[in-house]
Amino acid sequence: MATAKRETKKRMSKAALREERWGRLFVASPFVGFLCFMAFPIVFAFIASMSTWNGINSITDNFVGLQNYIDLLTDAKFWKVIGNTLIYMIGIPIGMILALILAVGMNRKMKGVKILRTIYYIPVVSSLVAVAIVWMWVFNYDYGLLNTAIKAITGQHGPNWLGDEFWVKIAIIIFMVWKGLGTSIILYLSGLQSIPRDYYEAARIDGANGLSLFRHITIPLVSPVTFYLLIMGLIGGFQVFVEIMVMVPKGGTNYSAATIVFYLYDKAFSNRQMGYGSAMAFLLCILIFIVTLINFTMQDKWVKTID
Amino acid sequence: MKLKKVIALATVTALTAAMFTGCGGSGKSASTDGKANLSVFIFANDHESEIYNKMFEEYKNTHADTINKIDVQITTQDEYSTTLTGMMTAGDLPDIFYVGPESVKEFVDEGYIEDLQPILDKAGITTDGLSAQEALNSYRYDGTETGSGDLYALPKDASVFSYAYNKDLFDEAGLAYPDPENPYTYDEFVEVCKQLTKDTDGDGEIDQWGCGTADTFMMYQYIWSNGASFLSDDHKTVTIDTPEFIDAVQKYVDLTLVHQVTPTVEQDTSLGVYQRWLAGQEAFYACGTWDVAAFEDEETFPFNWDLCGYPTMSSGVSTTWLGTVGFCVSAKSENKDIAADLVSYVSTNEDGQKELSGITTGESIQLPNITSLAEGEFKESIASGDLAFPLNVDVFFNYLGGTDKYEGRFMESTYTPNAEWLDLFFEGFANVKNGSETVADYIAKVQPQMQDSLDTAWANASK
Repeated sequence: MATAKRETKKRMSKAALREERWGRLFVASPFVGFLCFMAFPIVFAFIASMSTWNGINSITDNFVGLQNYIDLLTDAKFWKVIGNTLIYMIGIPIGMILALILAVGMNRKMKGVKILRTIYYIPVVSSLVAVAIVWMWVFNYDYGLLNTAIKAITGQHGPNWLGDEFWVKIAIIIFMVWKGLGTSIILYLSGLQSIPRDYYEAARIDGANGLSLFRHITIPLVSPVTFYLLIMGLIGGFQVFVEIMVMVPKGGTNYSAATIVFYLYDKAFSNRQMGYGSAMAFLLCILIFIVTLINFTMQDKWVKTID
Repeated sequence: MKLKKVIALATVTALTAAMFTGCGGSGKSASTDGKANLSVFIFANDHESEIYNKMFEEYKNTHADTINKIDVQITTQDEYSTTLTGMMTAGDLPDIFYVGPESVKEFVDEGYIEDLQPILDKAGITTDGLSAQEALNSYRYDGTETGSGDLYALPKDASVFSYAYNKDLFDEAGLAYPDPENPYTYDEFVEVCKQLTKDTDGDGEIDQWGCGTADTFMMYQYIWSNGASFLSDDHKTVTIDTPEFIDAVQKYVDLTLVHQVTPTVEQDTSLGVYQRWLAGQEAFYACGTWDVAAFEDEETFPFNWDLCGYPTMSSGVSTTWLGTVGFCVSAKSENKDIAADLVSYVSTNEDGQKELSGITTGESIQLPNITSLAEGEFKESIASGDLAFPLNVDVFFNYLGGTDKYEGRFMESTYTPNAEWLDLFFEGFANVKNGSETVADYIAKVQPQMQDSLDTAWANASK
């Protein structure tokens, strides 16, 4: 095998060899970058996850094996933040349903549709921190837009959106759905526009009504988009952090708003338990991997393509 | 062809260089031509930054024969700790940086900060004239415990979290001002607060309160004054289940639930208690030494105000917490002697202290570190009106030095490896303050969690 390789090299012209060298040199740059900024931190974090490293002590002197992982599995707060994170994921299907309905609405020739599409996309291109601050005011107990509207309509004072253990979750879900809607609409629109018109015409000739067309043609044929949104939504959902950090900086009453990454940050940076935080990062990674794997395994059952 | 090669090589080099920009040490301590390059890393607000930059520049100019450059890096208080940890991890510590009393033991044990005592002794620098000896002692470490032994840092300042009142609201209510010599008892305080809590615009809703309470900063005063504490003396046991502690917390909660002299939990989430104080909606609120400049600023706080003591509980002593941060020298510094001298200059230099305390600028951001200055020019400037400062300035000094009516102390978390155990106490406290959970039930629930967290912190620290 090695001899064959040498033979091939011999047969390569000088120019080809030179080109190959240059090619390797160019590839080396991102490869070295990957090694330094991805591979090394991952390996380092894995080693750190097996120690009580706090950022300033020695990792080797504080090696504890799998203790951090064992502690995490019995850490009630860890399970609580997993629960909170999963609750926030209720927003994923809600967002997808809303986006599909709006995309169908916008997938027609009508005046001002482009303006509408732009408006829905503004939250996506806006700074997450900036819009989170705006929404803090929307959710404000006394002076917020939402509670002012609730009071005007019902005469009753609205809930303490960001201060109550239950309502804070609803508030975060509303914010996340609003923030993600633009992307989902754009993707659904492109999915809708790739469905051949013939399918609808043929179905209409067979007597299908609007609802049947939507159910039996639109939904199945945009399922690749739905699948993509689901995967990305779940991966993003497991990593929610910024909105919590901005809107509920202490994680809410009784940590009711905290997510896995928020807890990770809290442990690693606020309390300088870098080892514990690293272990949490690896468990999160495993969790995301399992969920993504399940999704890919199940996709054959419900994801249809035009082919 | 050659040109192409050069361009290609330059591109690869540029790409790689761009990727690694910012990596690696900066060799800040390296000396040039026998002169020292010093690096400093601190946190400061704009006003402080200006004064410190000026002080460092002056020091450099007067020591031009030994110092080539002083590189000052200033960040915000929020970002300081994370950045410093990063510097420690990277082995790229500046010569001089801040350390809090809570970190002295760890930083010394891990070999990050230098023992200043031999250097100060050799140079004949004394700390006897410093006003806040308790703050100074918090930077001493004997190899086992902090509080005694060699000095590892010199205090940048000693701060006090005092109490303040809005004089205008007292005048409107026709009430006598609080006596700084005799802080209110709890019952007296409640009575005064009741008279200051009112619906000023007649819409049926309270819009002015006796006081505002921020749990994480303003509950200690009730607990300590009632003879209770979060921890045992050895800082290993969580003692929140004592009758004194429960009684103090109950009285603190009663201010909101029973006497209704503070905004509710919900109202707190709408507008913080600090903002309400600035808006003139609260008669009493806290005032740290660092708050004075803001409260004296007409645009920020357009009311007359002064300092007073927190109400007293069963001990009869008004108590609050003190804060301090100190300048230390890196154990890896190549210029420890010069760095230590610079530290002593910024901590004890009279001109610098005059600027920081406002004697020369008229705007104070800290109390003077030097006793003679604090007792002399500082108080004279206040009395003459040259320095905008509350007249009851002795309240600060009473807490700092301690009297039979006043006491200042450090928070218990100063003496523990981290504050996670304490955060657990406040995490669900809103449920107590809004009445959905009783004080006793809450403490019974949270005490074991806090103890577990504290045990883990100590266990990890002793490894």
